[in-house]
This record gives sequence, C-alpha cells and structure tokens, in this order.
Amino acid sequence: MPTDIQTLKSLDLFEELTSEELTQIAPMIHPMKISEGELLTQRGEPATVFYVALKGNFIISFKDGQAFTLHNRGDIIGWSTIVTPFLYTGTAVALTDGEVLALNGDDFLQVIQGESSIGDKIMSKINPIIAERVPYFSRDKARRDLPPAETE
Amino acid sequence: MTGLEAIAAHNGWSIAIVGVTIVFTGLAMLSIILSQLYKVLDFWENRDDFFKRLKRGDAAEDLPDITVSPDMQETVRQYQMLADRLGEPFSLPKLLDFAQKCGLVNPHATINRLLKQNVIVPDGEGYYRWHQAISG
Repeated sequence: MPTDIQTLKSLDLFEELTSEELTQIAPMIHPMKISEGELLTQRGEPATVFYVALKGNFIISFKDGQAFTLHNRGDIIGWSTIVTPFLYTGTAVALTDGEVLALNGDDFLQVIQGESSIGDKIMSKINPIIAERVPYFSRDKARRDLPPAETE
Repeated sequence: MTGLEAIAAHNGWSIAIVGVTIVFTGLAMLSIILSQLYKVLDFWENRDDFFKRLKRGDAAEDLPDITVSPDMQETVRQYQMLADRLGEPFSLPKLLDFAQKCGLVNPHATINRLLKQNVIVPDGEGYYRWHQAISG
C-alpha cells in the first residue's frame, strides 16, 4: 500500500517536495512493520532498499565494532542505494519494533537521476547525512586499502 | 682499644644501623619504583589516548545525572559483566552479540533502553561507555 502524501510531507527528507512531486513518488514508497532484532541492511551486500524510519530504534554497525544508533522519525537507512558502488556500508538492525518506509533502490535512483528537481531536493537532505556518516565507513576503507602487512 | 670496644666507643653500632636502614630503604624504594614502572611506560605509550579520554571526561561531566530504576539495576549489572570482557570504550554490536549468545531476554530492546536512559553513552568515535555514575 503506497504511503499517503501527508506522511511524506511530514518527513524532513521530503518536506521540500511539492504536492505534485510527492504524488509522483508516493506509489513507490511502502510502509513496513519492523520487529525487534530484524536485519534491514547487511554491510557489503548490494544496496537494494532505502528506508526512512517512522517509528522505532535502530543500530547501524560497521567493521571493527563501531556503531551509532537512530531513534528519530525521519532517520534514513540505506543511502548506498543511490551512491556508487551501491553496496551497503553498514549493517542496520532494529533495536525495537517499529515502522519504516521502504523504497526500492532502483526506483529511487531512477527518480533522483531522472527528475532533477526532486533529485536536487532529496540529495540536499541526504548529502549532509552521508557526510556525518562518512567517518564510520571511511575508516573501514582506509584499513582495507592498507597493504596486508600493515593491516595485521 | 680494639674490637667491639672500639666500635662501641666510636658510635659504630649506630652508624651500622643507620647504614643498613639507608640501604634497605633505598632498595625498598627502588623495588616499588620498578614494580610500578610498567604503568608509567603504559601511560607514556598511550598518552594521546589519555588526553583524549581527559577531553571526553570533561564533556562527560556535562551529562545529566541518571537514576537507574530498581527493575533495571539487575539488567545493568548483567550487561556490565558482559561489557567488562570488552573493556572500555566498548563496541555496542559486540555487547549485543554477547547478550544474544548468553541468552539474555530481548537484548536489542534492553540495549535501546540503556541508551535512552543514558546508562550507556556514545563516546563520539563509534564506541560506547557506561555513564560515569554507573562506571564510577
């Protein structure tokens, strides 16, 4: 069942979109109930679904045991669906029962790339979040890029 | 005058006792210093971490006081025992993993509760610590 426009409008990620734009993307966004302990994304796996939290609490963990938690409505999980190489950078697990909006990664990417107005508005919201999270997975990458002798 | 009589006449016994005391005190102090030397070396090797912790400690003083409800006290104790094996700061996913392996009830929700009550606080580097009021 697609999400209603008012719900989308109330989320920070979509608040700058016009009613027409929201109507356009609403059919591809589906609410999902989440159970405690449910795995949403797995680090290193192809990023196929983008999530926006409506209710609940989530933990995103990285290599070397680093992690942060998400507790707010509108928090996003799975931005790797729209950024190359389209692999999840972290493992997201629900800490409590909750509800999320799920977007198919291909559809989401198509809208962002095909509709410049929507793409600009959404990316202006997502980019700062990516910048905040970069330190977590860039440390992973930096370690992976080291020669084997130095990683031991 | 020779022998013990001469020693006694020229404060030899006192000098000997003072000498022995000085030597043994010196040896005792030296052994204490050597026994604690590893702490100094450890501090020197990890001085950067120490100053980081110091800064975080200053920030932690700004944390609100917390009161752990009676029903949570046993939970906190259980999770602290698990976290002790990880050291501090500790990895939250590893604590979660330990809790699951140990068969604790609703580990995800419990950790979320500990986070929300500020019993467990992020260190800003992706790892977590116990609130000072708990760990102290």
